[in-house]
Amino acid sequence: MEKKNNWKAWLYLAPVIILMAVFTFYPLINTIGISFLADYDYTTGTSSGFTFDNFAFVLGLKGVESGGTVSYLTDVIQYAIPNTFIIVIVTVPLSIIIALLIAVGLNSIRWVKSVLQTIFFMPYVTNAIAVGMVFAVIFESTGLWNYVFGTMGTDWINNGASSANAMFALCVYIVWHALPYKILIFLSGLQNIDKQYYQAAQLDAAGKFKTLMNVTVPLLSPQILYIMITSFIGSFKEYSSVVGLIGKPGTSGDVGYRNMYTIVYYIYDSIAVNQTHYASAAALMLFIVILIFTLIQFKVSKTRVHY
Amino acid sequence: MEIRLVNLTKVFPGNPKKNIPDTRAVDNLDIVIPDGKLIGLLGPSGCGKSTTLYMIAGLLEPTSGEIWFGDEDVTRLSPEKRGIGLVFQNYALYPHMTVYKNIAFPLTNLLVEDPVVDEKGNKILAFYRKHVKALPTEIPTHLKGEKVKNPFKNGREEILKFDCSHIAGDPILDDKGEQLYVTRKRHLTKIEMDKLIRETAKLVQIEQYLTRKPNQLSGGQQQRVAIARALVKRPRVLLLDEPLSNLDARLRLQTREEIKRLQRDTGITTIFVTHDQEEAMSISDEIVVMKLGVEQQRDHPQEVYNDPKNMFVAQFLGTPPINMFNGHVKKGVLTIGDDVIREDLPKDLDEQDVYVGIRPEGFLVPADKKDYVFNINVDMIETMGRDISLVGSHKESIKPSFKAILDADTKVNVGPLAVGVKPNKCFVFLKDTEERVI
Repeated sequence: MEKKNNWKAWLYLAPVIILMAVFTFYPLINTIGISFLADYDYTTGTSSGFTFDNFAFVLGLKGVESGGTVSYLTDVIQYAIPNTFIIVIVTVPLSIIIALLIAVGLNSIRWVKSVLQTIFFMPYVTNAIAVGMVFAVIFESTGLWNYVFGTMGTDWINNGASSANAMFALCVYIVWHALPYKILIFLSGLQNIDKQYYQAAQLDAAGKFKTLMNVTVPLLSPQILYIMITSFIGSFKEYSSVVGLIGKPGTSGDVGYRNMYTIVYYIYDSIAVNQTHYASAAALMLFIVILIFTLIQFKVSKTRVHY
Repeated sequence: MEIRLVNLTKVFPGNPKKNIPDTRAVDNLDIVIPDGKLIGLLGPSGCGKSTTLYMIAGLLEPTSGEIWFGDEDVTRLSPEKRGIGLVFQNYALYPHMTVYKNIAFPLTNLLVEDPVVDEKGNKILAFYRKHVKALPTEIPTHLKGEKVKNPFKNGREEILKFDCSHIAGDPILDDKGEQLYVTRKRHLTKIEMDKLIRETAKLVQIEQYLTRKPNQLSGGQQQRVAIARALVKRPRVLLLDEPLSNLDARLRLQTREEIKRLQRDTGITTIFVTHDQEEAMSISDEIVVMKLGVEQQRDHPQEVYNDPKNMFVAQFLGTPPINMFNGHVKKGVLTIGDDVIREDLPKDLDEQDVYVGIRPEGFLVPADKKDYVFNINVDMIETMGRDISLVGSHKESIKPSFKAILDADTKVNVGPLAVGVKPNKCFVFLKDTEERVI
């Protein structure tokens, strides 16, 4: 019986499978292949053979010789990797904690709840580039941020602002933009928690903070794990926020200045200059890093996530 | 501790825009629950019994009325200050904590008061605070030059600096005129907690499951854990919300005996809510029958069964339920159809139609007195081992059929049958108010 009707199931799945095979699976496998090819040219599809040098080049271990001088790529090891890790380590925990607090707050009020929910969800439906442009205006040296906090004249993202300043502005922007989706997930998770757990905690004289840490967070742990994994992956792939906020890979007008590089920014840049083999190597390394992080999280979650 | 509910009312507001009227869940309830007793709140769903329980717990605020624990008015007191243990219907055990941690959780928040002692082990007498506040002008000579802190705030070390005789002022006296000692609030230590947890676990017989998570336990075990969690902080009142509804039939019998035993052993005033009359009758010292937020009757279970105040109570208690018939009263004589059932009704009762209720066990086969014979039709005989049940019909019966429980030795056949009626199992209710006449 089952075998007989199998072809029907495949037929229904065919459109998705074909599209995914062409636009997802093939590029995925091809990326792995290209990352091991020397001097791959995607316009002609030619290369000069198998090599590991692409990885070494991206990590700045091996230089490229042209006209008698050997030049090393330093942008990735000096800027892209540290920046990406800073973004991950700062924005992921911060946005999760803030989103959790806002979700708990929203869940505990009744009045104007739906209005506030809508307001908090607005950034999610707003384009990242558009939001980035607004933040760029806010963080101008004569912008709103400086006006409100009395730091007039400080350069955050332009005119050769320091990496720390630019990173601060970038993190504020990323956290703000990441909140709505997380709040939404947490809020739906909170609404599934039986009210009696809170009544029980109240009867046992547990304070607000204790209830949050001992009841809410553990019972929300499946959602927290989900959000953690997806935001770790998302943060490792951060790129559009830099484009949106700063518009270029560095804080100064100098074309070669790339102090706000991220790994994915480098990947896109490399593709643009027909260095697909370097881009592929970087992408593969990023993939492995994300994989390791995700595995660690699953491992940790086994003891921390309940159910 | 005695619990008194005075004119307790809870109204859930409706929505006038959507034409939803207000709901009076509990209406002017007056109950006194004696100290150390097990009381069952009994009623059909929606009768306000759970609402009453939650109001006693403090999770719902009464619209009006008062709740007294002993001579303390707790109506406006928040739940955590009332000292109650509540067992929820679905237990509400924290799924992420082991049984041990679940039981420990209430203890981690508990504050106990300890007398503060000096180095010789003597308790330190308490004085009125105003005198302590005035200390800087009365600093004992040996403390001159030292920074003086409020000894009541800073615990033992600060108090020890003071020789109490130097503190002028009136000592604090308790109700009996005894002098009180300085006390300090503190959390329980791990060892104290462990002792309490193990004691309580032993009481409900779950010592061997302490390391498990709730989802690794059966329903009955989960419930014991829930009871242990409620009991561990030694509450003044134990409240149980439908404690047996999530258990299977056999476990239910066993658990209800256990609840009774626990209650007797601990002597904690216990209130439990149920819609199952058998459950309520079997373990309660007293039951309160409720209907639409109004108390119908409160008494010992057997009294309520034998002497129901009105038709609702009579119909609600008893399995199989009481059989109702249309009857007629004339000059003190009760008839159903053409049969005279009783002749001892009050003579001053006007001639009128009434409802007659006869308990299933109130039939006599064969009829013992020739005068009071009730002619019924037997449709079916169900054998149940210990006794047999007749499914009969009668044209005046309110339901299409009724049931009579008889001794298994009784010989009966399907068809017309003349039965006797035991007067003490036969109740008469007025048609309009449904109040009982006799």
